[in-house]
Amino acid sequence: MGKKEFIIRRLLQMIITFLIILTGLFFVFRLTLPDPTAALVMEGLSAEAQAMVRARFGLDRPLWQQYFIYLGNFFQGEFGMSFHYRSAIAPIVWEKLLNTLVLMFPAIIISYSIGPLLGVILSWRRGTRVEFGGIVGGLFLRSAPVFWTGMIFIMLFGIWLGVFPTSGMRTLPYEAVGFWDKILTLDFLWHLILPAFTIAIYYVGLPMLIMRNTMLEVMGEDFIELCQAKGLSERAIMYKHAARNALLPVVTQAAITVGLAVGGQVVVEVVFSWPGLGREIIQSVRTSDFPMAQACFMLMAGMVMVMNFFADLLYGYLDPRVVYQKGGK
Amino acid sequence: MAQETSRWKQYKPYIQSMKAPFKAIWADPLGRPGSILFLVILFVAIFAPVLATHDPHEMNERVEGTAASFIEGQWERMRVIGDKPLNATAVVSPGESFAVGREGTILHYDGTAWVEQESPVDTSLLGLDFFSPDFGFAVGEKGVILSYDGTSWEKVESPVEINLNGVALPAEDKGLAVGDDGTILAWDGASWTILDSPATRNLKAISMIGPDFGVIVGDRGTIIHYEDGEFVDPSYRTFMDGTFRRLNAVAISEEGYGFATGERGEILGYDGEDWYNMTSPESRELTGVGLVSPDEAYIVGIRGIVLQYDGESWTRLSLGYHRSFRGLDISEGYGFGVGTDPYINELARPSRDHLFGTTHLGRDIWSQVMYGSRTALMVGIITALIVNIIGVVIGLTSGYFRGRVDNILMRIVDIMYGLPLEPFAIILVLIFRPSLWIIILAIGLLTWRTNARIIRSQVLSLVERPFIKAARVAGASDLRIILVHIAPNVLPLAFLQLAVAIGYAITAEATLSFLGLGPPRLYSWGTILHAARLSGAWRTAWWWIIPPGVFISFTVVSVFLISRSLEVLTNPRLRGGNTRAPGSKKS
Repeated sequence: MGKKEFIIRRLLQMIITFLIILTGLFFVFRLTLPDPTAALVMEGLSAEAQAMVRARFGLDRPLWQQYFIYLGNFFQGEFGMSFHYRSAIAPIVWEKLLNTLVLMFPAIIISYSIGPLLGVILSWRRGTRVEFGGIVGGLFLRSAPVFWTGMIFIMLFGIWLGVFPTSGMRTLPYEAVGFWDKILTLDFLWHLILPAFTIAIYYVGLPMLIMRNTMLEVMGEDFIELCQAKGLSERAIMYKHAARNALLPVVTQAAITVGLAVGGQVVVEVVFSWPGLGREIIQSVRTSDFPMAQACFMLMAGMVMVMNFFADLLYGYLDPRVVYQKGGK
Repeated sequence: MAQETSRWKQYKPYIQSMKAPFKAIWADPLGRPGSILFLVILFVAIFAPVLATHDPHEMNERVEGTAASFIEGQWERMRVIGDKPLNATAVVSPGESFAVGREGTILHYDGTAWVEQESPVDTSLLGLDFFSPDFGFAVGEKGVILSYDGTSWEKVESPVEINLNGVALPAEDKGLAVGDDGTILAWDGASWTILDSPATRNLKAISMIGPDFGVIVGDRGTIIHYEDGEFVDPSYRTFMDGTFRRLNAVAISEEGYGFATGERGEILGYDGEDWYNMTSPESRELTGVGLVSPDEAYIVGIRGIVLQYDGESWTRLSLGYHRSFRGLDISEGYGFGVGTDPYINELARPSRDHLFGTTHLGRDIWSQVMYGSRTALMVGIITALIVNIIGVVIGLTSGYFRGRVDNILMRIVDIMYGLPLEPFAIILVLIFRPSLWIIILAIGLLTWRTNARIIRSQVLSLVERPFIKAARVAGASDLRIILVHIAPNVLPLAFLQLAVAIGYAITAEATLSFLGLGPPRLYSWGTILHAARLSGAWRTAWWWIIPPGVFISFTVVSVFLISRSLEVLTNPRLRGGNTRAPGSKKS
């Protein structure tokens, strides 16, 4: 099976998976919450007015019709009406998604540039106290719940030292026209530092430990022996030859992390009151705004799938040894 | 018998492969501290009720001894004068007072400051009275009687072991003490003796004017007059004027008036002949009476109540006191109200009583953290077992049968990989109600995918090995091959996955609980942090947020350490020491 065929297969598979999740979610919601307008209809509303509210949200049609309308709209980028905001969901979630990404990308870039370097050092110092301390430290970074480190950071730097703001993206009140106007300011950067570092510190452990493990595996390969025989310096062997080959799992992990980060750090957004997708989904659950919850969830799931796909592609691109096989055989 | 041995043979590989992981954990320099740490936390979880010092739901109160001074018609600010609640006070002379309280506490006021005096007992003292600055008595629980000689307190022999609630000492050789179950004791200048009592109910207080007249009050409206050595029933102005409420305090004056007061705001007046009901502005418990003149008297009660009498009626003073009064004594326009200070011990810093301090509702954080360990480990272990069983079964089936079964199962795994954990759990909570099972279900549904994949790939490589082929040629059934030949070989890997899954499950549970998706009445480390965040107090109350986070981190680290040592078992390449040379390299 060739590369092209693999990509097409993978892409198709992704779309089917997405559809299954979307369909599952749609019907689970509709069947478990038989009257979604309950959250919407105010007490004492007349039957007529209730029917009007239902019609406005398209809830008066049969279920299968609703489903196809929803499906059709979804792929045109229309996610329906929010019960809470009483307006179209799409512009809201796209903005929230951008807010999330603008927080996650710096964090992931920081952790995935520092983590592998630390990993190389650990494998270099195999068996020493540095390695021992590094492993334990790395495990602690991965074990400390990210919302907790966030709270500690806020307490330390936000409250006691008072050097960083503790919530939001900008100091209120502010005026900004559009997304870039909002984030291309020092004020935004100031707000970004604490949450971004919280996430970066949480994420740094994984690439570090992966890097160490693969480094140890790579160090057992024949070509390292050859490098040693050639009389190359230790440093050159580590960074030029070994690290380059060991980077592979780290890169794919980075792609997967990006995918998960969109939905995975709900807690950080909650702790830092960051107006992102994660905070939105929590709020939508609190206000029983299920079209919104659905849209947020599907965006997150979509992100995970796309990034998993990219991880697979990257793997094949970076490691020519990978042979595309038909799954399972 | 032969059947038995063959069955034993079947189990043998399991037992052998069960032992190997434990050995590996113990042999590993990181696995050993990890497993010790995990055992410690397991111990904490099992013995949580014993280790918890408080009920985690209880709103803890703090009590302190407080006093408010009354000088020349003016009430002054209430001050904390000791760390024990105070029950009674007596004025010796203007400028000198005593107060007694719980655990034998005796405080002396010399006109400038309250100083604690050495006490010969540690039972609670409930009443005291002085004849002169050089002679007085204090009485208390279990019949304790102390005498004061002007410098120190000494225990006096007591004829009873019943709680004594009040004492009056109108002369050097004449005194009465009253207590529970109608007990009345008399002092004749040398010793205390029991008097024949007309009452069987608990007597709470006594007030005397001179050696020949006194009033005793007690439970269910008991009032007894003491007149010239006799106990007589008092007369009431009308039949209705008696009360069935407990009377806590009484004070009568030589000028022919007096008051008694008790529970539910009860106030009785005395005009020198009869007792009569008075209109009370208060409906809560009143605990002390102090007289200044026929036109001025005070009553104190719980929660800082102070009532003033102006010769006709009682009115409530708002002095800004919040703390409960238990006793009042005023003499020659000078006196003290003393009492306790029960208030919710909110956001207390760590102390010996509350090792991790308290929450904004006065709940003990140490106990919450102890109970939280149960939730964490329970969710962690149950979920990890579920995840692992699903993962192993699907991995074995998929890897062994391959083909169509494998294809379907792995596509399901692919779908599962599209679901992000936290949002998925959030959606589940939206559909159902928050509970522990939702959390277990959410984590369980979304983490078996990794286990299944890993086990499957291991099985795929095992199936190609000669011994499996040999077994197949020998005619072993699929089930037998899976259970006897393959399963024992994937056990170490399953063990590794179990440890990893416990770590993830504990983190996930903490995360979901932190988001408020956990059951509301159950403590977990996540819910503690959730409550801290909701209260807003976490920004300064470091003792509230540090402990749960540290416990989460250490628990998760311990299982990660264990899993790392198991990783060495399943991936021999990670084995070895300081050699960077590929000496041990083999496949």
